Amino acid sequence: MMLPWARACEPLSTGAGSGHKVVLVIIGGVRRAETFSREGLENIPHLAHDLLPQALFYDHARNEGVTAHFNAISSILTGNWQRVDDWGRLAPTTPTLFEQFRKGLRVDRSDTWIVASNKALTSLIGASSASGYGQEFGANVVFPKQLMLMAVADALHGGRTANMADRDKIEAELESAMEGNNYEGLGWNVFDAADRLDPRVRDSIRDAVARFVHSGGPTSGDELTFFMVREIMRCFTPQLLVVVFSDVEAAHFGSYAMHLSGIRTADRLTFQIWNEIQANPDYKDKTTMVTLPEFGRDPDGSSTNGFFNHRANDDSTRDTWMMVLGSAVDRPNVIEKPIRHVDLCPPLAGLLGCRRLESQGTLLGDFRM
Amino acid sequence: MAVSDTLPVSLKTVVENGVLNRLPLTFLPFANQQLRDWQFLFPNERRATEQLLLYVNSLSPDESSALFAEVTALEEKMNVGSWKFSTSEQTIENASLLARSPWFQEWRRAVQAVFDATERHATTTEGVPTPANRLVLIEIPRPLDLAAVSVWQRWGQLGRPLNLEIPPNLSGGVLQNLVVGDPRLSNGLLGKVTQRARNQYAEAWVIDAGHALVDSALALPPAGPGAAQPVLLSYSRLDPCRQNFSREMNTMRKDLSDADAVYDRLRKVNLVSWCPPEVAADPAAREFVRNLYLSGNGAVIFSNSFVQWAASEAFRRARPRFLAARFGVRSKPKPFTAVAVFENPDQVNPLPAVDDLPGSAIDAQILAPYIWLAAMRYEEYAHATVCVCVAESLSQACVVAPPEFAVAHGQSTLSIDALGHELDEWIS
Repeated sequence: MMLPWARACEPLSTGAGSGHKVVLVIIGGVRRAETFSREGLENIPHLAHDLLPQALFYDHARNEGVTAHFNAISSILTGNWQRVDDWGRLAPTTPTLFEQFRKGLRVDRSDTWIVASNKALTSLIGASSASGYGQEFGANVVFPKQLMLMAVADALHGGRTANMADRDKIEAELESAMEGNNYEGLGWNVFDAADRLDPRVRDSIRDAVARFVHSGGPTSGDELTFFMVREIMRCFTPQLLVVVFSDVEAAHFGSYAMHLSGIRTADRLTFQIWNEIQANPDYKDKTTMVTLPEFGRDPDGSSTNGFFNHRANDDSTRDTWMMVLGSAVDRPNVIEKPIRHVDLCPPLAGLLGCRRLESQGTLLGDFRM
Repeated sequence: MAVSDTLPVSLKTVVENGVLNRLPLTFLPFANQQLRDWQFLFPNERRATEQLLLYVNSLSPDESSALFAEVTALEEKMNVGSWKFSTSEQTIENASLLARSPWFQEWRRAVQAVFDATERHATTTEGVPTPANRLVLIEIPRPLDLAAVSVWQRWGQLGRPLNLEIPPNLSGGVLQNLVVGDPRLSNGLLGKVTQRARNQYAEAWVIDAGHALVDSALALPPAGPGAAQPVLLSYSRLDPCRQNFSREMNTMRKDLSDADAVYDRLRKVNLVSWCPPEVAADPAAREFVRNLYLSGNGAVIFSNSFVQWAASEAFRRARPRFLAARFGVRSKPKPFTAVAVFENPDQVNPLPAVDDLPGSAIDAQILAPYIWLAAMRYEEYAHATVCVCVAESLSQACVVAPPEFAVAHGQSTLSIDALGHELDEWIS
């Protein structure tokens, strides 16, 4: 019998690195009120009941930088507060964890991935503009939701919208979008980005799309992201994998119900990633998984329209939480003392065996290194 | 700098005298845009712009430098002079540059302090305006089912629940009966507000997720001589406008690389032929709709977001005395294509639209108090405003009111007629 994690493709990893794997799950903006609060726990049953008892849980992980997507995520990934363009037209200015890991330990690109649903990101999230670093040491960047958007747009403009009601035809539309002449239009940066998708990646993406389309389950951007993440884990077993879920950002359009649904989806998919780690011998017992939101959302009654946005200088927007699972957890514990988002990069770099770079973050002593 | 031909003489004079040269760089996008778009501003916005510029003009150079000292100092710290910062209008790039500055929060406080000083000066010279009673009516209509135990939870201690006696044969819903009544008799609250000779433009607003409420308001006789028509916004009646607008938005996304170029083109799209007559004929309302669609917050996507955001923006920009807002039903996201929220889902996916009643009820339940909280940000609504939110499926309402409004502490059950009578007394 073929085990679910059996590799369908040749391993690419050079074997460099500490042997420790890191999976970082970043969720879009969610308030404490809808998550780790008395009223919010019903939205996060897996995080709160299945995972919390085995976790090192930081009750207050603060985003003290710019509470916009590109800057928030790049601050987490670099350990320095980034203040670059919100629309991803500028790379982070200090080295990302990917670059620190790849340059410092001569790690192959196939060992570092970021798979993100968020439309505000660009491929520049995978590497910085710092001198001596940059794309040469960057991660593979994949935006599955962009693939769906392109498939929808192509079908619309090609007069094939009837296809969007038929799962087989949707699969063909998604594949066609992926195989298109200019896949870089998707904003991806996979291996050495030529004008065609690397064949090593194409097959695993195709498998992910097929599983996603025919699963019969929900069909949001985050679901497709999860299917791709799982394929990448099974095929490439990256040592450093960053996943960004963003269904919660439906809040920007004012649907609270869809925002709550996005939180529940992120909760379930995060749990499924943890289960995949436990079931995959390449990850089990050698992986640390960290989950945190990019930021909260604005408080009810704010001039920025409450949960819709994340611009207020308020605890509701800045004060989030962080959950650590796996190898770096000595014993389950809840840490009340606030930490900052930039404090995460140094311990992750340490776990991966990287030399410490200059960072605004401090090493978190509760991590078992 | 382009200024509107319709500027009042006093303002034109101070602009010609160079008052804008006294403003800090980060005030210019706002001031220039207001002066250029004067014909599209509501009376309250005109008043605020006039107050600021006339006040600055009345100051000596030293005094105006002192007024803006903190803003100017922060601009220097932020190095605004080196930014690609538009001084002609407020842009996404401007907002992004400001927001990612470490000095942003301090800058916001400093800007607010200038407006507060202007307001204090106006109060000193023009006197405190007589507070007028105001009324905000909100309805979460049938068929949105709400749970009695939680329906008013988000209103916290703000209001008082009230049971409504709703006649079984009532047609049009509670809000429509209160607002419009019998259109032939003009006996609804809207008719009474707009028939008053002293009613000014943009003092009365009706915002509808569907169209029935606005349709019935349109059936009212025209406002009396010298009185202004209400602003009537129906999400459904604006369907062609919304669809054309989002199509333009999508087309442009393929061609243009930056958001400001997209927005610049959308600012110039002619909306007249896409709007229903009541909006097409009203330049300020038309531009209000354009700005609503451009400012995000889901107004172009979901009817209930449109209602909430339109109401919030109405409070911010026009400070209406009377506002009625009715929520409605949105469709469930369609499989696979739901991610393409900027597309018209019916165009993109042939599967039939299915109403999302539970989801719409959850949305409306949080958006209704958001309307009230939006009003509460402004001094005008702080003391003499009654807000009634009707949960039609429960035959209940939540009443937020000052003690002098009898219903705030009277019977716990009221007929619609009795409630209408009390509200009429309040607003008259």
